[in-house]
Amino acid sequence: MEHDTNSLILLAAILVPLLSGVIALLGGRLNTSALRSISALGFGIPLIIGIYLFCHFDASLVGEYNFELRAPTGLESIGIYLHLGLNAISLPLFLLAGVVGLAAGLYAMNSKAERLNLYLALLLFMLGGLMGTFASVDVFFFYFFHEFALIPTFIMIGMWGGAGRRGAAIEMTIYLTVGALLSLLGLIALYVQSGVDSFSLLELRNYLHEKPLGETVQSNIFALLLFGFGILVSLFPFHSWAPKGYAVAPSGAAMLHAGVLKKFGLYGLLQIAYPLLPAGGEHWFSLIVWLALGNILFIGLVTIAQKDLKMMLGYSSVMHMGYAFLGLATFSVVGVGGALLMMVAHGLSVALLFMLATCIYHRSQTFDMSAMGGLATKAPVLAAFFVAGTMASIGLPGFGNFWGEFTIFAALAETQHTRWIVAPAAIGIIISAIYGLRAVANIFFGQPKEGFAAHLESDSVVDMKLSEKLPALVLIVALVITGLFPRLLSDNANSELTNLYPVQDTLPHHEAIALPSTTDGHKELTH
Amino acid sequence: MTATQSLLFALLTPLASAALIAFFLRRRGALASYVSVAAAAAIFVFTVLAIRGMGEGVVASWDWLTFGNFNVSMGFLFDGTSATMLTMVAFVGFLIHVFSLGYMADDKARARFFGGLSIFMFSMLGIILADNLIMIFIFWELVGFSSYMLIGHYLDTEEAAAAAKKAFIVNRIGDLGFLVGIVYAYWHFGTTNLSEMQGIVAANSELISATIAALLACGFIGKSAQFPLHVWLPDAMAGPTPVSALIHAATMVAAGVYFLIRITFLFPESILCGIAILGTSVAVYAGFCAYGQNDIKKILAYSTLSQLGYMAAAFGLGYPGIALFHLITHAFFKALLFLGAGSIIHGCHHEQDIFKMGGIFKKMPVTSITFLLGVLALCGVYGFSGYFSKDAILIAAGLQGNVLFTLLTIGALLTAGYMGRLVWIVFFGKPKSEAAEHAHESGIAMLLPLIILAVLSVAGGYLSLWPEQLGQIIRDSKDDLHHLAGYDAMHFRVAILGSFAAIVGLLCSLLFYGWGASEDRLEKKAGPVYGFLKARLWFDEIYGYYVAKIQQRLANLLSVLDIFLIKGVLVRGSAGVVGIFSMASKSLHVGNIHGYVYWFLIGMIFFWVVATGLF
Repeated sequence: MEHDTNSLILLAAILVPLLSGVIALLGGRLNTSALRSISALGFGIPLIIGIYLFCHFDASLVGEYNFELRAPTGLESIGIYLHLGLNAISLPLFLLAGVVGLAAGLYAMNSKAERLNLYLALLLFMLGGLMGTFASVDVFFFYFFHEFALIPTFIMIGMWGGAGRRGAAIEMTIYLTVGALLSLLGLIALYVQSGVDSFSLLELRNYLHEKPLGETVQSNIFALLLFGFGILVSLFPFHSWAPKGYAVAPSGAAMLHAGVLKKFGLYGLLQIAYPLLPAGGEHWFSLIVWLALGNILFIGLVTIAQKDLKMMLGYSSVMHMGYAFLGLATFSVVGVGGALLMMVAHGLSVALLFMLATCIYHRSQTFDMSAMGGLATKAPVLAAFFVAGTMASIGLPGFGNFWGEFTIFAALAETQHTRWIVAPAAIGIIISAIYGLRAVANIFFGQPKEGFAAHLESDSVVDMKLSEKLPALVLIVALVITGLFPRLLSDNANSELTNLYPVQDTLPHHEAIALPSTTDGHKELTH
Repeated sequence: MTATQSLLFALLTPLASAALIAFFLRRRGALASYVSVAAAAAIFVFTVLAIRGMGEGVVASWDWLTFGNFNVSMGFLFDGTSATMLTMVAFVGFLIHVFSLGYMADDKARARFFGGLSIFMFSMLGIILADNLIMIFIFWELVGFSSYMLIGHYLDTEEAAAAAKKAFIVNRIGDLGFLVGIVYAYWHFGTTNLSEMQGIVAANSELISATIAALLACGFIGKSAQFPLHVWLPDAMAGPTPVSALIHAATMVAAGVYFLIRITFLFPESILCGIAILGTSVAVYAGFCAYGQNDIKKILAYSTLSQLGYMAAAFGLGYPGIALFHLITHAFFKALLFLGAGSIIHGCHHEQDIFKMGGIFKKMPVTSITFLLGVLALCGVYGFSGYFSKDAILIAAGLQGNVLFTLLTIGALLTAGYMGRLVWIVFFGKPKSEAAEHAHESGIAMLLPLIILAVLSVAGGYLSLWPEQLGQIIRDSKDDLHHLAGYDAMHFRVAILGSFAAIVGLLCSLLFYGWGASEDRLEKKAGPVYGFLKARLWFDEIYGYYVAKIQQRLANLLSVLDIFLIKGVLVRGSAGVVGIFSMASKSLHVGNIHGYVYWFLIGMIFFWVVATGLF
């Protein structure tokens, strides 16, 4: 019976934030502390459930789902069920959504946003949608929950966004809607072409494993999914919505969208498109590689040119997506595993940085990095967090991002035809160091710029408050855990990916002479 | 306690110390400094315990990450080489920690400083003990970070902020090659474990790849500040002086050389030759640069560059043991010189210009005597530690050809010359500034490390005094050298030439610059020559030009391109799929967000209706 309980608990991870959102929305007369407690429940419980399910996850169910729940929806005739469950690929993202949701919620709860109850309600709806997206086995609901989470993003940008929000919101809406529609077309095409009469990913997968689609069909459907999902993940050159959109988005929306919702596209490619349409992946290989290099090199350089902190973070986030695409493009367990780690770690670090950007703005009243300087003397803790976030995002070991990037580089070097990509892709580690450290130096180090010095003197510039430290700490701790113990995520994912992706026998096995391993190991060498 | 446990404790103690300081002792500088020093002492104790238990062998390896056939593990390779390096780092590191107690006593951000030192010790120990390339790379990046943090310690100065950034970015350029080299090596050898790779190339030497060796050597070029990535090291002197001593002289920059020694077996003749030439050129180039500097720390920084060049030359000539030997003796005397400089700077109220010092000998006798012993060791005067290691390098060069030998001998002459310049100007004559006038001898916490390092700088070269577990590779390399034909004659020649270089360099600088000079005679008499030396072949200007005028302009251009071309023309204007859809949506809507929401809902309902078969 434990199994059933756990599936209901999984369902609760979706329903609790939705319900608390409804209460926050309707209970307009709730006093602030009641509102906070309700939303704290909504933001906290998904993560607690995520951790609980993580502990009860049965890794031996390779190729199947844990905590499965299947409920009728009235759409059985075309094979749509509310089918929930987690596998070793969706679990890390489910946890990611929980962690970022908690951090964004904690930060938002103490923000001074107008109509706080509406703001929190929308964030809670978004979180509920996100939990649902990654808990869905049914492709229809996978898509539905994504759209469900997307709508609050638009509304939040429209209502609480910064200057220029109108244009940015329109551009973002158009792009994301187009991306979503294309991927929907792709998913429906997949459903129609397979003829399996089910939207269940499991059934689709088993069926297509038996009877793969023809190569042309595969590559056509793959194209729809690639560009649809690609737009959602800001694949070059369909990225321009991202920096501008994030620049005007309120922090909660930016954290959840850039951190988690954006990973929907990659997740779709990883869990659906590549395993079900391998021939499509092969057909579009070169294009993906070139576009991903565009993300890394072209956008990387564009990032260097940014003066606005949030634009810089937005572009850097676009840039890092290039690595994830490269990992997927290798179509190997190593590369896809690297992409998975990258998705999780990037989600944490980008959410942290967007949050800290808002913290900086509250002290500097500007996002223009060239107009700041010397903030570290007034706010050392904020500086420390920002340095940590930057270091995580540029791939310093000790944070999860490093494992993602490194594993992807290793995957690219695995086979002869992808080996050349390592060097251009790795130039990104220099580019990201340049813009990351420049930002740190411009904002925090040196002497304050003219005009900013007087501003720094005012009493309003204080170090981070507890309400800011707490969410930042949640994200940093998660980043360090993924950095120190990547196996927590990778071991299970490895068995699942080995089931979905081919393992090549590329590792050479050379003859070796056993050398004395003790103190005089080198003696052997020099003689 | 087994050796493995001792090593684990040695590695994790500084990490624990850094975490403790970061989370709880941020505002309690004094306590933080004691915690950090205690951690450094503990490292040394654990090191001694580990070396005592070495006989039983150290086998330690943990899986860190596995995807498909890609596996990363962490483990220790504790052999004679790493034990030697570990002992040096633990001991010198501890002394510098103690010195910092005095030097940083008045610093407002003391906790951050000592926390940084602890992180550094942790990372450095990781490099030393690592048994595979990936683990070395991980800790390699971490020492880069601690170096960044400590160079930028005085973060409200523009100079420190810029230097920290520069150090990190320039190092990353080297790390790019290193990283590519590692992933290539993984699929080439099927492992990056040092012992396994050594076994593989021992079985089949055809597997040695020049590409991989060259790529891995890029890491060394960045970390050990060799040409063309040498520009960060002089700037890094913006950090507190103990940091310069620990990281930018004795240990971290030498980690590049240590790394080469660890992977000696991967190098083919061609790349070794390249490294020898590179090292020799840097040895001479940096020697010349030192004459154009007036900042006491920058003179020492160029001296470090030059000595790292000697180590690289020794390695390139095929004697990794001798490179390690020079690395160790250099760590003693260069740490001594930097700490001595720190003591002087501290005594002179943070004056760093040698022409504003003068007469220090009388004011600060202990610092001065120990400093002078360090100078003699650096110049390779007979009997001092530097003599033994530099002598061996010159012999190795002399037995293989004339060009490198001549250049390295010139380098030795240059060394004695610029150190002589520093000594005569700083220590003798009359004080040239208010600060030097009021110079005072430092306290015991700073003098004690100086005295101990001075003893080591004098006696550290006698290998027979070393514990028997240490330095086996050095003895091996020296034995190899001994067995070569013509060794005795060359030894005699080098002893004469080396002493000649030291004496001539020191004397000539006295004759030329004078006793306690108040201005640079070279600058006055031969301005263009001085200007040329000061310009250091304009590397900083060239790189500065590249960054500001090429890289930044390209970035700006692409940024404009991104806004107008991609956004305006390619994506929106094209008749591609996206274009059609975006135009379609544009014509449908007027930019009202609620409108889009309704359309979305209508679409969903439509889909639902079709799907359920009601339509």
